[in-house]
Amino acid sequence: MYCPTCGANNADNAAVCVQCGRTLNAMVPAATVPNYLVFAILVTVFCCLPTGIAAIIYAAQVNTKLQAGDIAGAQQASKNAKMWVLISVGAGLLLTCAYILFIVVMSMSHR
Amino acid sequence: MMRSPYDRFLFRGAISLGFAALVALQMFDPALPGFFPPCPLRALTGWYCPGCGSLRAMHQLLNGNVGAALAMNPFAVIALPFLSYGMASHACFEIRGRYLPGVFIPGRWIWIMAVAIVAFGVARNLPVYPLSLLAPGVMLGVKF
Repeated sequence: MYCPTCGANNADNAAVCVQCGRTLNAMVPAATVPNYLVFAILVTVFCCLPTGIAAIIYAAQVNTKLQAGDIAGAQQASKNAKMWVLISVGAGLLLTCAYILFIVVMSMSHR
Repeated sequence: MMRSPYDRFLFRGAISLGFAALVALQMFDPALPGFFPPCPLRALTGWYCPGCGSLRAMHQLLNGNVGAALAMNPFAVIALPFLSYGMASHACFEIRGRYLPGVFIPGRWIWIMAVAIVAFGVARNLPVYPLSLLAPGVMLGVKF
């Protein structure tokens, strides 16, 4: 299928154009499959590099699968991206609590 | 969509907390000891993570010093418009049920972003001249 906007050649059932991102399949607007990329980058940068990177890679997979027309796959990747964002937030909170506890214990033992 | 009053309460709470955090960040410089606790990763390992210096950068931006902000964390300053718009878009989805208009980012570009973040994190820890400029504050001639 050729994109009506930019003319790029796409997979026949692609949901969005590989080149310009135009929605090709009106039944499945790309906006209904969120990739959580913003949150994935935030958790990567602010707390948890390894789990955050997993979230970014799933976010990439969401868009790659939308380009290939694999809506079910994109929705699965979207769920995984969300899950890894939540795991990162949880791990971040846990580590922060542990760190605060550590500081409190250290400062008390030095008195 | 906002389903219940409880959802709305949580959402408004999160927005208010965000604003309170911005005000605190404008008033107190995270580079100075006292108000903000030191970063656990930095304290335990001595490494700069890719996000290191982003709070100090935001403090400088909120006070109008773009150059100092870039010296603290260039990546955070460059990514800020994108991240803010993305968060506004998600907030819009919660309120009105649809996202703000956005540009579709091909999957390959997102992969490149992931690699760039990791590479930036590694580069700013290397004590080699042009790369060492990426560590927070070095471009200002300050070492934290």
